[in-house]
Amino acid sequence: MELGPIWRSLSKNKAGFLLIALQIAVTMAIMINAVAIMQERARDMGRPSGLDEPNIFALSSTAFVPGMNMRALIDEDLELIRRTPGVIDAIATNSFPLRQGGSSRGFQTEPGTGKDDVGAAVYFTDEHAIETFGLMLVEGSNFAPNEVTWTEEGSDAWAGTVIVSRAFAEALFPDEEGSYVGKTMYVDQAKPVQITGVVETLQAPWKGWDGVERAMLVPQRRDFNFQRYVVRTEPGMRDVVMPQVEEALAQSNRNRIIQSMRTMDEVRYMAYLGDSAMIKMLAFIVTLLLVITGLGIVGLASFNVSRRTRQIGIRRALGATKTQVVRYFQVENFLVSALGIGVGAVLAVALNMLMVNAFSMAPMAWYIVPIAMVVLWSVGQAAVIGPARRASRISPAIATRSG
Amino acid sequence: MLKMTKVSKIYRTDTVETHALREFSLEVQEGEFVSVTGPSGSGKTTFLNIAGLLEELTSGTYELDGRDISALSDRERSKVRNEKIGFIFQSFNLIPELNIFDNVDVPLRYRGFAAPDRRKRIENSLEMVGLASRMEHYPAQLSGGQQQRVAIARALAGEPRFLLADEPTGNLDTEMATNVLDLLDEINGNGTTIIMVTHELTLADRAKRNIFVRDGRVSDGPPEFRLAAAGGQG
Repeated sequence: MELGPIWRSLSKNKAGFLLIALQIAVTMAIMINAVAIMQERARDMGRPSGLDEPNIFALSSTAFVPGMNMRALIDEDLELIRRTPGVIDAIATNSFPLRQGGSSRGFQTEPGTGKDDVGAAVYFTDEHAIETFGLMLVEGSNFAPNEVTWTEEGSDAWAGTVIVSRAFAEALFPDEEGSYVGKTMYVDQAKPVQITGVVETLQAPWKGWDGVERAMLVPQRRDFNFQRYVVRTEPGMRDVVMPQVEEALAQSNRNRIIQSMRTMDEVRYMAYLGDSAMIKMLAFIVTLLLVITGLGIVGLASFNVSRRTRQIGIRRALGATKTQVVRYFQVENFLVSALGIGVGAVLAVALNMLMVNAFSMAPMAWYIVPIAMVVLWSVGQAAVIGPARRASRISPAIATRSG
Repeated sequence: MLKMTKVSKIYRTDTVETHALREFSLEVQEGEFVSVTGPSGSGKTTFLNIAGLLEELTSGTYELDGRDISALSDRERSKVRNEKIGFIFQSFNLIPELNIFDNVDVPLRYRGFAAPDRRKRIENSLEMVGLASRMEHYPAQLSGGQQQRVAIARALAGEPRFLLADEPTGNLDTEMATNVLDLLDEINGNGTTIIMVTHELTLADRAKRNIFVRDGRVSDGPPEFRLAAAGGQG
């Protein structure tokens, strides 16, 4: 291994090599942090909402004739949907996970003003919600039908019981080690609400909220002109049931508009469209940077082969085999890459710390750095192989030509 | 030691064939100091390239140390070059980015010697050419004569069976050229076979045997050459 002479030779021609090392360092810093962002987004996209998403769809009904009996219409609609073959259950609700719009409230463990509270998304619905969403009840019991009440628009009435997500219960009662069922909390600073059930996972509608895992079911139905229905079907029946439900609802009452029919798959896709685009864009940028860095290395190596044609011929004349010539360029590239990668690793960590502080990003996973090192070393080695092989084909006879 | 029999070398392009060597035959015994002279374009450098395994011959046979060289692979040719042949070039051919120590070290690394052995060989060979104190210098910091002495040290460090010198004094003034030729005499006196290619008949006079090449063949040469050759042999 000619590490020493190659390093000393590099130090005699610093400019080109330092520029490539700098390019590798910048690529590494950007690549690592781009991958960290992509990982974070992918992790967010992979979080379960708690719902049986593949078998759920949602639609809305907007009644446009004043004075309609909305409570009767909602009951009739739900009865009609639930009777449709292939439907497991259905609810009317103000929102659902990933919808990106909904309601939230602050809850506190003691009544009174100025107390710390914990925010949670609230889904106003009924005793069919657990079955419709496909939630896993891990503690307590579902709502009894008589717990469910109607509230009118503008009312500030609040139910006395709720079923909460485990994440919300843990956030509100961080020191509790036993059961959360039976615990009392307060909404609107004074109204007591008792936890009667805990579900394993139930996300809030806003995927970007830092409390996205905190949500609850509230046994209250709202008789507004605008209603949002969520329907769960038997596995594989969703796409068959959707047009049937739409048609049945449209036929049952012509004084309203049925719209916004979407599967949960579509809802998830729309919710994470930006993240998905961000991942693709960053992947493109990382790939582009790697290609540019690779081309930079190819360019520098080609330039060096041209510049050192005679020197390579001399080395061949002195006994270097073609393999040894190729290895020379590989070792040279390894050293330049090592310099760039070393600086790049420091830059990457510094940039990540800056982003963690500035944008509340999760710190990057430690293993991204060694993976990035291997990737960049591999890109360097792959990029240099062409020029190095070309160099190995230089005739040793060039050594006897005058020059 | 070196035996070329009816060696030909033809350079071909799409439209032109150039016969650089035509049935060139030569035998050199161990310990000889042979000069090869001839006018420009006579085939001296082609002979040197083939003798030094820098180029392949087109036809004929070439034996080095009793081994047929023409059938060797590129890797084997590199190995033979590295182990048996020392090169001294007209333009010194030192690597400008490496200091003197590293320059002499180049063929030794390819040979696979251990670091302590290499260091000893480098120090000894630089000592022999009187440049042991300049190991850390770069070629650009040395005179032409000193650079050629470094090149000689590089050629000798691996203890080759023979030296191929291509116009070794071509880029040197008279005094430096004399020094280098004295050094070659000394090396030959120590038993190393030397073949020196030169176009200067006065330099050829320093060799023990002179070969004149014209049109790619060994030739009798002009009268002044025959005189010089007779002197050299005598």
